[in-house]
This record gives sequence, structure tokens and C-alpha cells, in this order.
Amino acid sequence: MGDKPKGNPSASDKPFDPLEAWRNMRDATLDAWSKAMVEAVNTEAYASATGAMLDASLSASAPFREALQKSMAQTLQMLNLPTRADFESLAERMTNLEMRLDDIDAKLDGLSGPSRTKAKPRKRKSKPR
Amino acid sequence: MTGSQAAALEFGQAEERLRRLTTALTTRAAIAQTPKQVIWALNKAKLYRYVPVVPAEKRHRVPLLLVFALMNRPDILDLRPGHSFVEFMAGKGYDVYLLDWGRPGLEDRHLKFDDYTLEYMPRAIRKLKAISGSEEFSLLGWCIGAILTTSYAALRPRDGLRNLILLTAPLDFSNKEAITFARWIDPRYFDVEKILAAFGNMPAEMIEYGAKALKPVENYIGNYIRLWDNLDNPQIVEAWHAMHTWVTDNIPMAGATFRQLIVDLYQNNRLMQGTWKLRGERVDVGRIRASLLTVIAEGDHITPACQSESIHKKAGSRDKDLFRSPGGHIGIMAGSGASSQTWPRIDAWLGKRSA
Repeated sequence: MGDKPKGNPSASDKPFDPLEAWRNMRDATLDAWSKAMVEAVNTEAYASATGAMLDASLSASAPFREALQKSMAQTLQMLNLPTRADFESLAERMTNLEMRLDDIDAKLDGLSGPSRTKAKPRKRKSKPR
Repeated sequence: MTGSQAAALEFGQAEERLRRLTTALTTRAAIAQTPKQVIWALNKAKLYRYVPVVPAEKRHRVPLLLVFALMNRPDILDLRPGHSFVEFMAGKGYDVYLLDWGRPGLEDRHLKFDDYTLEYMPRAIRKLKAISGSEEFSLLGWCIGAILTTSYAALRPRDGLRNLILLTAPLDFSNKEAITFARWIDPRYFDVEKILAAFGNMPAEMIEYGAKALKPVENYIGNYIRLWDNLDNPQIVEAWHAMHTWVTDNIPMAGATFRQLIVDLYQNNRLMQGTWKLRGERVDVGRIRASLLTVIAEGDHITPACQSESIHKKAGSRDKDLFRSPGGHIGIMAGSGASSQTWPRIDAWLGKRSA
């Protein structure tokens, strides 16, 4: 996911670059820092600290989130507007309808679709599977 | 050249570099450009068929279905023209299909691996068979897509699956020391229920943070320095731009699926222990019969090799191969060496088994 392809221009035929030494030093520093951080994040201490931070932020925001959801649902109902729950229910029904259509499509494919072919049989080795 | 001419030239080059930098950082690259048609859809999922470029009589008989992870766009398989696995395989004569899971909404928070494996995949495969006219097919699963394809292969071994290719497959979670994610989601520190109660689905931003935090310096700093250093090279900037577009386009994971991933797999390793059940059916990898190719990325920090090696021993397939490719979790299939290393090896293996 965070992994990118690397691509550096060929080192040959490069004109003299006065900043090259600085760049090499920068890359070496970053490389060392990167290795240290990879090790640091793979520790119990890091796992524990990030877990505690996440837990604290979720706990702190929960009452506000719940209050907001409740008041939003009440407001929408007062305005005769559909709520999230209404949309979710509709989406579920739509998916069920799509499945029924897919079942019908499967039957139609079975009736009128192209005759299916099996690929050439593989040469089996002496031992059966 | 006079001083003023040199200064003007230098200014023009600086302006061009700035333009490239701004474009790469603020716009989306044109990715996933290979022509394709939607042939099936259900809820957010879509099945694409790529327009064949090889005449039917010269094509491989067994179609290939690609299944990518649930929390990233599958565009990485078709990154950019001239550097696309899909384009490569279509050019080699495969009838290529892609199952795109789409972006789950809150209404999809109850979707589980059970639904993806035993509801969506069989329906998509049924359509693939109807369109291709072949009862047999090959499956390629990458990352979480490999969990789905492995489960499918184990639960439906006689459904026509002829070849199974697993790329950087996170299947075995027993070696917790080697898997950084496993350490982070230890139940002592990570409360999956609290997250799902708050958000319903696992938010894309949290998934993105988790992936990047595995290599924080490289992802948050080194990546941008690489762009800065190569602003004079349009090819490298183009490749960087395409990858950056894909990396920053994360999608949430359905809540119930995320719970299974954490509790059943990362914390309890149920798949490899043979105790994982989908819709009441036990997923027994010993029942896999398809020819199996396992591809391991030697530099994979997301799915270390130990997570993919044991399936090779436990799968019931008689025809099994495993190869290790240089590169990282994504780099093996989308990096600069992918087209000369990983893709030809997949083609060489699959071509012999697709007649």
C-alpha cells in the first residue's frame, strides 16, 4: 500500500553536481532514520501508545457523536425527510432486488447463453489427485 | 550563452519543474485506462471484462479473473498505459476479468467475508462463465483478495476453478513477532468493537494511516523527496503521479468484514488452523484442488513471507509452485521491475495451464 516503485536516473553521464555530497548525506540520514522508525513502530510500546490514543479519542468523542446522531434523526423526522436508517433500509431492499434479478439472469443465461466449453483436458500425471 | 540567456533558461527549467511538482501533488493521474465493459453488477460490486486484443482463435481458453483487496481500488492492476498488468495479460492472449468490490457505504457495514465469498463471487463467476463460454477459469487474488480467492477455492473446489494464483497472501497469522499489524491489533491495545461502534465501517483514513505507519519515514518524507529529486525526469514523475493517485485513493472496509479480519484471522489465525467458518461451512484449505501458484514479495513489510508460505504446504493441490519476487507488497506487481520479473513469470506459469 505505501510501497512505491523506485526509479533513479542512471549515475553515468551526470554533470558535476556540487550538492551531491549533501544529498548523499541526506539520504544516508533518512535511511538510518527510516530503519530506526520501522523498528520503533514494531514494538509493544508503540502498539500500546497508539491503542491508548485511539481509545481516548473514541471515548471522548462518543457522547458528542451520539447526541449529534440523535438530534439529526429527530430533526429529519420533524421535517418529513428520510433518515440514514431509511436510506439503509432502501439500499438493503435494492440489493435484494438485484439478487432476484441476478437469479433470473442466471436462468436466462442457462436457456439462451452460448454453449459452454471445457478447456482441453489437462495431461494428468500418473498419480490421481 | 550570455548571463541573461542562461538565467532565462534556468528560470524556464525551474518553472517546468514547479509545474510538474504541482501537477503531481494536486491532480489525479489518468489510471485504469485499459478499455473494459461492465458485464455484471451487484450492490457496489462490478465485474469488468477487458476488451480482448488478441483474436479469439489465438486466445487462451481459460479466462482469468482478478480479485483485489477490499480496502484499495483495483486500479493498481491497470495502473497506466504501457505499465499495466491487465494490458500485459490481455496482450498475451488472456480473456481478463476484474471483480471490483466498489466502495462500501454505511448500509454495507454488515457485509462479511461470508457474503463476498459465497454470495458475490459465485454470482460473478457464473456470469464470467456465461460470457466466456468456458466452464473453467483461473483466479488471481492479491492481498485480502487472496483471502477471498483461497476461501472460495477451498469451499467450491469443483466449481471449475483450474488455476489459483495468490499474490502477497496474508493467510497465516501465527508468527505474531514478524507481523507488525498483528502487534498493533493485539486485543490488549486495540478495541475493534469501539471503532465499529463509532464509524460502522473501518474508515479509509485509518486504513491508510496503518499502511503508511509501517514505514513512516519512507511514506511521509522519502516518497516526496524522491519526487523532488526526479522532477527533471518526466517518466519518473509520471510513474510517481500514477502511484500517488492510487495510494491516496483508499476506501473503507465493511465493518463486519473488518471484525472478521481482526478477530478471526489476525488474532486467532482461524483460516490456517482450519476452524474458520463462512456461512457455517468450514474453510479447509486441504480441499483446494486447483493448480496453485504462490507469489511472495521478498521485501514485503505488509504481508511478510511467513504469512504466505504455509498455504503452499497445506493446500490440497497436487500442482503447486512458489516463487519469490524482489520488491515490496505492491512493488512486485506495479513497480518498475514488475513488467520484467513478476508478470512474465505469472504468464509463463499460467499460459501452460490455460490451454
